[in-house]
Amino acid sequence: MEDSGALNFGREPLVPLCGGRTPLSSGFHPAVETPTHMPRNADTDGGLTRRRTLATTGAALAGMTGLAGCAGSGGSATFTPVADELTAWHAMGGTNGETLDQIAAGFEEETGMAANMEFQDSYENVLTNTLAAFDSGNVADMFQVDSLFAQQVFDTGQVRPVAEILPDDFDTSIFLDNVAEFFTTDGELASLPFNNSNAIMYINRDAFEAAGLDPDDPPSTLAEVRAASQTLVDEGVTQYGIAWPNHVWFVETWYGFEGELMTDAENGHTGDPSTFYAPDPIYDLYDWWKGMADDGLYTNPGIEAWGEATSLFIEQETAMLLTSTASVAGLIADSEEFTVDAAPYPTISDTRVGPVIGGASFYVPDGLPDARYEEIGQLLQYMSKPSVQTTWHKGSGYYPITQPSVDSLREDGWFEENPMYNVALEQLQQGDASDPATKRALLGPARNVQTVIQDKSVDIVNAADPASEIDAMKAEIESVLAEYYE
Amino acid sequence: MASRELFHGRLEAAVLLAPTVLVSVVFLYYPTVMAFRTSLFDAGFGQAPAFVGVEHYQTLLTDPAYHRSVGISVLFAALVVGGVMVVSLYLTFLIHEVDVRQGAYLIAVIWPYALPPAVAALVFLFIFHPTLGVLTGPIETLGVDLDWFNDGPQAFAVVTLTAIWKQIGYNVIFMIAAMNTIPDALTETARLDGVSRLRRLVSVYVPMMTPTLFFLVIINTIYAFFGTFAYVDLLTSGGPANATNVLIFDLYREAFSYFNFGVASSKSVVLFVVVGLLMLVQFRLTDKYSYYGG
Amino acid sequence: MGGIRQYARRWITDRREDGSPTQPRDTVDRIGTDGVAVHAQLWVLTLLIVFPIFVALTVSTKQQGIVTSLPDLIPGTHAVDNYREALVGYGFARFMWNSFVMAVIVVVGKLVVSVLAATAIVYYRVPYKDLVFVFVLFTLLLPVPVRFVPLFQLVNDLGWGNSLLAITVPYLASATTVFILRQHFLSIPASIVETAKIDGVGPLRFMWSVLIPMSRGVLVGVSIIMFVYAWNQYLWPLVIIDSEANQVAQVGLQLLQGDVQGGQLSWSLVMAGSVLTLLPPLALMIYFRDPLLKTFTIQQK
Repeated sequence: MEDSGALNFGREPLVPLCGGRTPLSSGFHPAVETPTHMPRNADTDGGLTRRRTLATTGAALAGMTGLAGCAGSGGSATFTPVADELTAWHAMGGTNGETLDQIAAGFEEETGMAANMEFQDSYENVLTNTLAAFDSGNVADMFQVDSLFAQQVFDTGQVRPVAEILPDDFDTSIFLDNVAEFFTTDGELASLPFNNSNAIMYINRDAFEAAGLDPDDPPSTLAEVRAASQTLVDEGVTQYGIAWPNHVWFVETWYGFEGELMTDAENGHTGDPSTFYAPDPIYDLYDWWKGMADDGLYTNPGIEAWGEATSLFIEQETAMLLTSTASVAGLIADSEEFTVDAAPYPTISDTRVGPVIGGASFYVPDGLPDARYEEIGQLLQYMSKPSVQTTWHKGSGYYPITQPSVDSLREDGWFEENPMYNVALEQLQQGDASDPATKRALLGPARNVQTVIQDKSVDIVNAADPASEIDAMKAEIESVLAEYYE
Repeated sequence: MASRELFHGRLEAAVLLAPTVLVSVVFLYYPTVMAFRTSLFDAGFGQAPAFVGVEHYQTLLTDPAYHRSVGISVLFAALVVGGVMVVSLYLTFLIHEVDVRQGAYLIAVIWPYALPPAVAALVFLFIFHPTLGVLTGPIETLGVDLDWFNDGPQAFAVVTLTAIWKQIGYNVIFMIAAMNTIPDALTETARLDGVSRLRRLVSVYVPMMTPTLFFLVIINTIYAFFGTFAYVDLLTSGGPANATNVLIFDLYREAFSYFNFGVASSKSVVLFVVVGLLMLVQFRLTDKYSYYGG
Repeated sequence: MGGIRQYARRWITDRREDGSPTQPRDTVDRIGTDGVAVHAQLWVLTLLIVFPIFVALTVSTKQQGIVTSLPDLIPGTHAVDNYREALVGYGFARFMWNSFVMAVIVVVGKLVVSVLAATAIVYYRVPYKDLVFVFVLFTLLLPVPVRFVPLFQLVNDLGWGNSLLAITVPYLASATTVFILRQHFLSIPASIVETAKIDGVGPLRFMWSVLIPMSRGVLVGVSIIMFVYAWNQYLWPLVIIDSEANQVAQVGLQLLQGDVQGGQLSWSLVMAGSVLTLLPPLALMIYFRDPLLKTFTIQQK
């Protein structure tokens, strides 16, 4: 009877994805052509055959509504734009949303073309509405999707790589390697990276000093974090040493820095993943995590509890915080009573390969009228301009993702004046982009795996025998993968 | 009742009923039927639907985790329904008893009804968060260690409390109306006879309010099973260790996070059957125990 | 609310020998009879129930809105800033207007549709009417998450995506309203119905001149409940409305939340928005509390 709202505060909200389509009426599937823009060249022949069989069965059973379903029926749909002006569906609320609106206004000033940024509440809802739009035929010109869900977007087969849309004279190599790598498939840039980040550590300088620790030499490994936390707590400076939102991204980052793959098929980039890896460093990670919790050096702020973790830090309940680099501006502003500083993410061991990226990018649907793509290309180009990237970076905290933008900020001395903004960028650029472990996993059932890892992490930390819980987590993830990719 | 039937025009009646029936069929029944059909398929994002027959149901019937979820949901519903009704009844009674500032008390009690469930959950998070909660300090000085991110039963308690708190307002609205129809003669007689307050409530008022109370039991049951999603979503996400993984949350997650529409549909059928059976039992009890006089 | 008390008072007064009405008892006397215990318990209980709104209000007056202990609950000074930010800066006023339009249409629509249906069920002799009643009542059991996905597709197929139609028409059938109206109609004295029968009144006339005037209280009460229900809808408008211009307030709260993964902490802004969305239904409930509280009697057949 009563509908339940979901005010989510960064938790991935639960909203339907697949355009509300019951597969039963997903329409007539013609003899399956491989969707033209399927970026993964990975499908073994077995995979393709399977799809074909399923599709034909589906066609036989499905109602004949003749509408393109979200079941990847091939990129041959024609779409009409949802409005005359260029429309971008995004998930940036608050001041970030305002910055986006400003960018749109700047675009209009410069080119005379109107652009409208429509807030869609969350990444999931952007995707939902987009898929519904694919169904109904009226689509937005671009939509913002979190990197976690990239695979699912690819699976629709209804997006056109932005490399094909950007003006010819646009040099796609300007994107920072480590960022572009993730969004490049089959050698071309699939989506426009825009708000990307990685995880870093923030410290409370005053607390460090009060505890006798050197804020200029922050902990760089988990062992050092523990030592520092112990000191902080023993000296009574803060109640806990460290906290971070219980989000899968942090576990992924630990994997990335350790150079360990999470799944086979190079984290899903070269094929269908089926095995989840839990190498020794991960056991070390959870041992450490459990130890910290048991000894009261760490507190769990909640699942995907970005706001709560930050609040703990601001309230000086913890002296260290792991969170996104995008929080830098907010933290500086909110930490009126102490001095905050940024430090590289603490790693499990001394190995430091590289972080995984977070954040989202803009995808463009395939099938719009040709003339439209020219305009979209111009908007994409505008959004990658150094000046725009700088505005975005300064206004949001996400790092600038084009080299020219980074260079110009450097020249202006921005990073010298604001060293905290530089920490994530350096961490990124020092990472080894060629190592597949630093590519964020491309998983079909991403949300499911995410939930398993997050829930299981709590269980592992609370268990008497963490090792067996880790094994249980591994088993559960693999069964999820198996079910999806069967 | 026959004397009320003024009109006989079947076509007329059909026309009057048409809008309700039409909307019900198109926007309620049809989608439900379609969704139930999906339960016979393996359906998800990026996959063409594959017919699997009753495979999902077989899985559910043999899945101990799912059984646990059912058990938790039933327990949750029992506690919520019982808790809401007892608290609301007592509150209504107190309000009914007072003379001064009755209106103010009433408003103070029923206002949560207007609050969106998500905001309610969020505020309860502010209040009871294990480390950041406003009341956490005072509660811990009382000896209770608030640790419901890690402790299953505690998490269950917090969600139950939130659900009960939110629904009190709705119940009081109906209960006060019912209590107001109780003849004052009865009240005065009881009072002058020296019957204690509590006794009066239980032995005199409650029997006279049975139609309302049974109506509320049904509404509250529906609320407990279907309307409590936001609390689990925002407070515990079903955890820890699935301690608060009630059926409605499990269902939502299966459908809208994992995109397993087939499995989710089968889970919704099961949920529907569970609640339907409960309704049936409650209707039977209603007939048996209702007080028809007055 | 004073009705019962006055009746009782009269009754007791009448019991006095000389038959003259005694003076109305003053407040202290009344409290005395009410019992300090009763008031005390009420205070405690209502305080517990009111506490969360107090927290919400307080958070909305602060700058960041992080409250972690009781002393933090002293209201801050940013109320005006926060509310203005929400209303003007984020265009929340627009969202609230959309919510209002949607809720009003839904309420009026549901009333009309349900009055018609209840009239048919109670006042018509047609063989299938009990079946129809159960048919409608049964929809209470059709859970939202089940119908949601196919409903979404259906509404898009109808071409109603992102429109006012999409967030109003699917709500027009109301089992609760039909149930309550039916109960109420059944309690209207048969004599009145007989009179109408004798006068040979037609159905529309009957509704207009008899049923509706006699159901004012119930109609108002039901309207309030339906307004609250429509106003608090979140999930459906979330997915079916695409553009900010058409979006409703509950969904708009997310806009105030900001990009949490991107590090934006805006508890206070969200609470300000939440309080704003709370106000209209609360105001209606308070203003119409008499019909709301007096007329929801569930009577037996």
